[in-house]
Amino acid sequence: MARTLTYIDAINEALHQEMERDDRVCILGEDLGLGGGVFKATAGLYQKFGEERVLDSPLAEGIIIGAAIGASLVGFRPVPEIQFADFIGDAVDPILQQAAKLRYRSSGGFTCPITIRVCWGGGTGGGLYHSQENTTWFAHEPGIRVLAPSTAYDAKGMLIAAIRDENPVLFFEHKKLYRTAKGDVPEEPYTVSLDNAEVRRPGRDMTIVTYGYMASIAMEAAEEMSKRGVEAEVVDLRTLNPIDKKTIVDSVRKTNRCLIVHEDTKTLGMGAEIAAILNEEAFDDLDAPIYRVTGPDIPPVPFSPPLEKFFMVDKEKVIAGMEKLAAY
Amino acid sequence: MATKVNRATAAAETPATRLSPELLLGLYRMMVKCRMCDEKARILFRQGKYAGNFYSNVGQEAGEVGAAYSLREEDWVAPSHRDWTSCIVKGAPLTACFAQLFGKVDSPDRGKSTPAHMGYPSLHIITPASTIAAQLMIGTGVAWGMKRKGQDNVVVSYCGDGATSIGWFHEALNFAGVHRLPMLYVVQNNLWAESVPLRLQTALTDLSDRAKGHGITGVSVDGNDILAVYEAATRAITRARAGEGPTVLECKTYRWYGHSEIDPAKYRMKEEVEAWKKKDPIPRFEKYLADHKLLDDQIKKEVRDEITREIDEAVEFAEKSPYPAPEEAFDHIWA
Repeated sequence: MARTLTYIDAINEALHQEMERDDRVCILGEDLGLGGGVFKATAGLYQKFGEERVLDSPLAEGIIIGAAIGASLVGFRPVPEIQFADFIGDAVDPILQQAAKLRYRSSGGFTCPITIRVCWGGGTGGGLYHSQENTTWFAHEPGIRVLAPSTAYDAKGMLIAAIRDENPVLFFEHKKLYRTAKGDVPEEPYTVSLDNAEVRRPGRDMTIVTYGYMASIAMEAAEEMSKRGVEAEVVDLRTLNPIDKKTIVDSVRKTNRCLIVHEDTKTLGMGAEIAAILNEEAFDDLDAPIYRVTGPDIPPVPFSPPLEKFFMVDKEKVIAGMEKLAAY
Repeated sequence: MATKVNRATAAAETPATRLSPELLLGLYRMMVKCRMCDEKARILFRQGKYAGNFYSNVGQEAGEVGAAYSLREEDWVAPSHRDWTSCIVKGAPLTACFAQLFGKVDSPDRGKSTPAHMGYPSLHIITPASTIAAQLMIGTGVAWGMKRKGQDNVVVSYCGDGATSIGWFHEALNFAGVHRLPMLYVVQNNLWAESVPLRLQTALTDLSDRAKGHGITGVSVDGNDILAVYEAATRAITRARAGEGPTVLECKTYRWYGHSEIDPAKYRMKEEVEAWKKKDPIPRFEKYLADHKLLDDQIKKEVRDEITREIDEAVEFAEKSPYPAPEEAFDHIWA
């Protein structure tokens, strides 16, 4: 039975259901037990499962991840939380040097099935240190899945799949989507593939490759441009590592044009990699240069409302990019 | 009257009376084995038998052996780059240890990890990274998991004096303190973090004082006295198994050679090195055992001869072991 749920309620339901299903699943992080999480993503879990499995950690991101890695080595399925992506710095070594490489450096002797939930993204007035996107710091690293779901359905299904996956996973939840993204979500547990991008909207004239909150913005822009006769195919990456190259390349082979839309700053963002993939694998299919609509190369995200509006990609900016690409 | 008897008993009690001859000789044999393997590893590196580098533990054997010698099979070890010999103490076969240095397929990591960064999954030895103090956090997580499962097992994690400065050391101790985890943090204080002297590392005299800030037990011992280390570690491990929480055990010792084999360590005074070599933990323990009539020249020779044979066989095995095929570089990235 599906009902309409918000993105954050879908995440909360996934955590409840996985913790009920598998008593090896435990969560730890800042303010997520007694407080139920600053956005209430973990509401009700402490009351249901107790402190043993829903642990308020010290204010120290390194040991949040370090403890999760260690517990995973003795059979647990920890789901640690980094409250804001902006605070992940202290945990970069545990994530990249330990979780992502432990299996490799032991040639399969140790595996590290942890799912790190991270709240990311701008557009909510969070300012410089509650708005950042740093998905590409991690998407660069072999051995750790990096996910960025954009719908309530995917949020639940991908989180459940991540918890059941044997790989370490970074699960980026966009805070702007928490209560704005709503959709049909089945009541029962289900999984969504962690290896595939999703074509959100078919189209023949151009491909928009995007992910996260920007997927919803790209859909709005595509609908508007449809009224003007431009049919864009919207590819929601969903997984930033590994990247589903095939879906991107197949789409561009059909549309022959590509616009990349992301919230992250431009230089060395996901767009650079997508463009490089298309250059290598679909060069002869392109009728136009690949354009990018992204955050500007300034520290993300300045606070004052006009500054934040300047930073954030919105529907109008995407439409401008689509017009430029269509006119080439 | 009863008091008198107790006093007399206490006065008579020494490690030699508390510990069995088998255990004392076992500790001795293991220290010699670690020393000989480490010296062999250094020679092999100088002969160009393997690439990369080696991080010698010579001089620090009392801490290395004493801390982990009493561990059970289901207990865990979280070593650093300088604790290749901790794998030997936990029971890893020498064939695997030398194959690890050589980057061969018979290494537990099949040549993925740098020499001396050795783990052994089936013996619960966590393959280390080179990033300092990370092993302490992972070890602490293992201890958290085992405590939650109700196991009475412990984790021994090694680090050097330099590691006690980094935040992750403190994050690990703090978490272990909050949850009274079954952890033994062994700080091998060899006075030098690579080329940085202790006086520039910390204002502390005893690194076990680091424990105080986290509300946990801290003990400093003469790290070249195998019996002092063994007894302090055993007490800490017994407490940890009983749910009484973690311990920081500082072993005051000295690294005879450079940080690695490409470091001539010219930043140290020759007199300092020579003075510490005179405090070599092995002859010191040999004298103790001889004084207690547990060791003579014949036994010493037998011990060394047997270890030499074992090392020779292991090195021959490691040399014959094949290198991994280049395509193996893609293995074990994803589960």
